[in-house]
Amino acid sequence: MKLYIKYDINTTCKKVLEEQLEKEQLAFSLISFGEIELLESLSGDQLKRLNESLGNYGIEILESPKSILVQKIKDAIIEMVYMDEKLPTFKVSDYLAEKLKYSYGYLFNLFQEVTYTSIVNFIILQKTERAKELLATNEFSITEIAWKLNYSSVAHFSNQFKNETGITPTTFLRIMNKRRKMEEEIKQL
Amino acid sequence: MHILLADDDEDDRLFFRDAFEEIKIKTKVETVNDGVELMNYLTQPNIKLPHILFLDLNMPRKGGIDCLLELKRMDQVKNIAVVIYSTSASEEDIEETFVLGANVYLKKPNDFSTLKKTLEAVITTNWQYHTSGLNRDNFILSI
Amino acid sequence: MSGRAIFTTAFLLKGSFIVALFILIFTSSVSYKHTVVIAESTELLVRSYKIQIQLEQLVSYVKDAETGERGYIITRDSDFLQPYNTARDKIKGTLFALQYLTSQNLRQQHNLDSLLLLVNLRLALLKSSLEISSAENLNKRWLEENMTKGRKTMDIIRSQINKMIDLEVSNFNEHQKKYNREISITPIFTLFLFTVTLIFLIFSYLKINQDLEIQKRTNEKLLISIESIKHAEIIGEFGTSQWNLKTNKRYYSDNLYALLGCEPQSFEATVENFLKFVHPDDRHIVTNGVKEVTDNNPFPVEYRIIRKDGEIRFFKSIGKFITDNGNSKLYIGISRDITQQHLTEQALVERNRELEHSVNELESFNRVASHDLQEPLRKIQTFISRISEKELSAMSETSKEYFARIKTSASRMRTLIDDLLLFSRANKIEKVFEKTDFNQILESVRQELSQTIEEKNAVIRSASLPTLNVIPFQIQQLFINLIGNSLKYSNPDVPPEIKIECEIMSAGTSPILEGNASTNYYKISVTDNGLGFEQKYADHIFVLFHRLHNKSEYPGTGIGLAICKKIVENHNGFITAKGIPGIGSTFTIFLPA
Repeated sequence: MKLYIKYDINTTCKKVLEEQLEKEQLAFSLISFGEIELLESLSGDQLKRLNESLGNYGIEILESPKSILVQKIKDAIIEMVYMDEKLPTFKVSDYLAEKLKYSYGYLFNLFQEVTYTSIVNFIILQKTERAKELLATNEFSITEIAWKLNYSSVAHFSNQFKNETGITPTTFLRIMNKRRKMEEEIKQL
Repeated sequence: MHILLADDDEDDRLFFRDAFEEIKIKTKVETVNDGVELMNYLTQPNIKLPHILFLDLNMPRKGGIDCLLELKRMDQVKNIAVVIYSTSASEEDIEETFVLGANVYLKKPNDFSTLKKTLEAVITTNWQYHTSGLNRDNFILSI
Repeated sequence: MSGRAIFTTAFLLKGSFIVALFILIFTSSVSYKHTVVIAESTELLVRSYKIQIQLEQLVSYVKDAETGERGYIITRDSDFLQPYNTARDKIKGTLFALQYLTSQNLRQQHNLDSLLLLVNLRLALLKSSLEISSAENLNKRWLEENMTKGRKTMDIIRSQINKMIDLEVSNFNEHQKKYNREISITPIFTLFLFTVTLIFLIFSYLKINQDLEIQKRTNEKLLISIESIKHAEIIGEFGTSQWNLKTNKRYYSDNLYALLGCEPQSFEATVENFLKFVHPDDRHIVTNGVKEVTDNNPFPVEYRIIRKDGEIRFFKSIGKFITDNGNSKLYIGISRDITQQHLTEQALVERNRELEHSVNELESFNRVASHDLQEPLRKIQTFISRISEKELSAMSETSKEYFARIKTSASRMRTLIDDLLLFSRANKIEKVFEKTDFNQILESVRQELSQTIEEKNAVIRSASLPTLNVIPFQIQQLFINLIGNSLKYSNPDVPPEIKIECEIMSAGTSPILEGNASTNYYKISVTDNGLGFEQKYADHIFVLFHRLHNKSEYPGTGIGLAICKKIVENHNGFITAKGIPGIGSTFTIFLPA
């Protein structure tokens, strides 16, 4: 049978961090998402061990402040794209600048420098990914998804989707459905 | 980034290697000559599996589709990103490869610079999936 | 109707016969009874008269005796005693006769007894009178007394005789009355029966006559039918057989014998004899067929026969049972010489197979060629591009130019092969037809062409499209090509407007459609406001690689519409084009409903 799950990444990560930090017997306090205040400094070994154990969970200790900021940008964008009902209509540039307390121009350049792609591309990537998730649930029509993701028209949405993935949303949907059917058939064998 | 190519054509293997040589991203490229070699390679004990597998469809002894089907049934390799790297096929056939589990369909381009660009795009996109917590199941790309 | 008429006639006949018989018996018995009664009456009458005569005679004899007595008394002449004696004997005789005659009638017997007594008394008196008178002393007083007694007795005798006579008469009258009564009914009753019978007989006669007429006509028709069938069998090269299940007798028509190469009715009509003509390998088919028929499961069977002259022919037989009203089952079979059709069919099947084979070969050749030609071409192009990248700077100007041309030609070849590949893929073999919603196809097409649509600000309007049994990818390709063309060949600076309409129509309304008035087609038209074309090229544009524009003006190889035509033909449909230069074009596809 199938179970549909929603992740609350925050809680999961917090739990993991807490467990791991406690394992290392480090006194800490979690300040905000992505930030931990240690009450003492780490030795090189400890840092390595911590990185390794956290690495198993896909958690990485960021090295440089730049990377940290870029990660923050990514997180902010992801948060925005995966907002429940509909993408917000305000301008992304304003949203990011306000949220992260840096000018958009600076953020833009920084992102480009670290990731070699632009924020715009990243946003498109995330939106397309969200579209794929929504398509895979089979609950929404293409028109609804286009609206949710703030596209001006279905044509615009199809266009961007096709540019990103090389296939149209309908084709994607068809492939996902066929895959699902095939997996079910295999399970029944 | 560890990359594996399965292609029976010598020239294509040459192009492939040369292209990666000129791409900025640091990669390690290995090649096998057909499907049987591919499966043997992947089923070796203690093998360091590639991150991405480029798979030609028209190979003697064992073709790309057969390999794909087998791969997706083997637990240890089913999560490798599979790129179908082939000469042009019909829309239905392309769709069929996705349905069978391929992640990317890459039509062998006619010129070298396009090859470099597309390989780069594939690598980058794959990296995105690897690092940005995107759903691997939705990794579908047709170039 | 004729069956029922015959049925009724038989009934009528039997009925008439029975009724007539009944009437006959009845009338006879009535006549007989009357005859008997008449005889009885006659006998009674005779007897009555005989009695009367005897009684009269008795009186007469008694009177003779009296006269004799008187005469003797008067004359004392013994001659007068003679009638007296004769009379006495005759009286005896008469009484004896009367005894016999009245034996039936008890009352009369009583009367006779009384009479006898009286007569005897009279005779006694007479005798005593004679004795008295013949005595020497005539006692006058005794004589007078005797004579008076005698006279009184005579009176009594007379009255007794009258009584007896009356009785006889009344008896006779009574009997007559009875007889008359009985007789009076008979004539009326007989007349009545006679009338009824007459009506019945007339009615039967008319009905039988009518039925005989019908039968005669039916017989005539039957004779004509039989003759026609005979001829039909000869012309149609078939023979018929009949099998009466009750009597188990079979009948083979003359032509059946003829088809087997024999003289009509030259052998007894049995399955075994027929099987002798059946090809040994096919005998089981025939025996199986016979068995199926008996099991009430008839179906056509085909088998070979070997004619008397040794020639092998192909036969096809089928039959069915008919039951008549008498519930006897009759099997009617038809065997047809289908040799001609069989051979023609075989030839056709063979030809079809060859054609299909050819087509398959061609298509697979096309596909493989296009595919296999791709590879070396691609390599050529790739190596060209490699060299361009690396060595361009080192090449001479001429080399560079030549190189550029090589590149262009290779590119052109590439496009051609790509298009040929597309064309070869648009075949029907191994393709699955499924119920497809054309509206969904159109949606997919919109998404596929979304870039161009956006770029040109195109508007595509569509009516509601049907769901048909088609090859989905091919229909998608069809629409992509048509709408793609409309977008490509749009008027510059004019946003393309494409209208898609749909209606059902019958084949009868258009000469290009195959089928009759009852075959329906969906007519889907794609109209645009683009460049249009001259109507005289309307057929030309569907030909492979034929274009109306220079390749430098508009890209393309001229295969798009050829593919459209092929796809439409795969679906047993038709495609037409109409164009007005500068105004736009309409492409119409017809797909069977």
